[in-house]
Amino acid sequence: MASPHSVEAMITAEGLGKRYGDKTAVDDVSFTVRPGSVTGFLGPNGAGKSTTMRMIVGLDRPSTGRVTVNGQDYRRLRAPLTEVGVLLDAKAVHTGRSARNHLRAMAATHGIPSSRVDDVIDITGIASVARKRAGKFSLGMGQRLGIAAALLGDPHTLILDEPVNGLDPEGVRWVRQFVRHAASEGRTVLLSSHLMSEMAQTADHVIVLGRGKVLADAALPDLVRSWTTARVRLRSPRAAELSQLLSAGAASTSTVVEVTTSAPDTLDVTGIEASRIGDLAAERGIPLHELTPTTGSLEDAYLALTGEAVEYRTRGVETSDTDNQEPS
Amino acid sequence: MTATATAEPTRETRVQASPYRLTFVRQLRSELIKLTTVRSTWWSVGIVLLLTVGIAMMIASAIDMPGYPGIQAVISPIQFTMLLAGILGAIAVTGEYSTGMIRSTLSADPVRGSVLAAKSIVLAVFMFVVSLVTFLAAALAVSPILGSKDMAIDWSDAEMSVFPILAASVSMAVFALIGVAFGFLLRSGAGAIAATVGLLFVLPIVVSMFGMAGPDWQWILDAGDYLPMTAAQSVIIPQDGNGLDVSTGYLALAGWVVAGMLAAWAVLRGRDA
Repeated sequence: MASPHSVEAMITAEGLGKRYGDKTAVDDVSFTVRPGSVTGFLGPNGAGKSTTMRMIVGLDRPSTGRVTVNGQDYRRLRAPLTEVGVLLDAKAVHTGRSARNHLRAMAATHGIPSSRVDDVIDITGIASVARKRAGKFSLGMGQRLGIAAALLGDPHTLILDEPVNGLDPEGVRWVRQFVRHAASEGRTVLLSSHLMSEMAQTADHVIVLGRGKVLADAALPDLVRSWTTARVRLRSPRAAELSQLLSAGAASTSTVVEVTTSAPDTLDVTGIEASRIGDLAAERGIPLHELTPTTGSLEDAYLALTGEAVEYRTRGVETSDTDNQEPS
Repeated sequence: MTATATAEPTRETRVQASPYRLTFVRQLRSELIKLTTVRSTWWSVGIVLLLTVGIAMMIASAIDMPGYPGIQAVISPIQFTMLLAGILGAIAVTGEYSTGMIRSTLSADPVRGSVLAAKSIVLAVFMFVVSLVTFLAAALAVSPILGSKDMAIDWSDAEMSVFPILAASVSMAVFALIGVAFGFLLRSGAGAIAATVGLLFVLPIVVSMFGMAGPDWQWILDAGDYLPMTAAQSVIIPQDGNGLDVSTGYLALAGWVVAGMLAAWAVLRGRDA
């Protein structure tokens, strides 16, 4: 069984749903998490992220649909720790047991040697507290212990629920680099976080859940482009003249151009690219003191997606190979 | 924002297949590590040892009855230590639920039935060995006292020496399994301990209250013979005409284990962790 054949490691959810009594936590969710990239799992509290993750690893039984890891039900895996490393929350450890003994007990189920236990202790930087009882750990140390447990079997797939929660900046950066490296090795990474800036730096692909449904499932740049508006900020001593010019120019084409004057010499323009504005200004000999294109952040996109106005609306986003047209 | 575009979705993984596998024997080892790496286990073992040896020595010193079987002094403390066996079984399970450890356990081994089996076997064997050592230690401790009273345990008569010790150790294992079953059924430490103490300790007292009742109530006394502690007494030192015979006693104990395990399994396999 140790032959180095490649394994198509992915997580596939089909019509996945979970009901607790008459409350629906996850409602007909379908998605695929692919190897070789980091997939971010976003959504407000109670959106169903953790429930979905628990269903992936067989802790909760789906009410409807199914979810598979590498095409198999998690409960059927013959070596779960080597296929999926999971961090559900830092508090999945007996408080009376030392970190090292916790990892030894986990490793023993799969015949993972204690040298590997020491490896993951070193990798996650908990060597100095490994013999202390886990109940005495800080949030960040508990988080590192949870990550260490997830790494024990050197798994193809990593499922990490809020891994940077409680970590110091060094730890946050370590997690980011670690998951990016894991993805570059061809592993599958599913990661949830509330820290949008962190997610923007880590994820390639994003699945946004809201009220138990998938609101968006797209490559991160596409999601941001679709749900935020690209703007150009410009400063010019002849701003008023330029404003008229841009509005007039827009009238002749079908695009919607909006020009807002935020200061006597400053304009915020949407619907027209910076290069085009520069060309227009040059044609008329209008001097420009600043011309800055700005794109929205993941946070802007996320808030737009999950905000009240779009609570129940889903919206398709263009795939990465279509042209970068702005949605109008 | 990441500069990289989406990675091509079908890239082959370069991660090699792992040599590690989940097996039942390895699960047993994992459960043994878990049991022996928390302090509550060793507290329980220590108290069992202390109570057994202490009470046995007290009885041996106090007893003044010609013909008293010396082994009785060694075995009698089980009436107290049975509670520790049951509680150890219960907290071995409820400790996992209260701390969240159960999620780690079940993600390493998602087959619920095998988690139940591994934990139960390890606790039963552990409790049996601990009890065996404890009773032998008590026998050793009381032998000079009994010897001076001419009541020494006759080791050549297995019926009144080795067998009671073995039967008592088996009973302790059964009590631990009853605790395990209540642990999985109730999940809460307080609830599981209360249920275990109720079944092992309180119900026999309730039954004994009917000892002077009329013949209409005899069925309660008859049913009471099948309670775990009462059945255990029947197999440890059988008394003719009183309680169950040995084989029925073992059947009753086995019945409690089977019923407890089936109930625990039914609950464990269906419920979300």
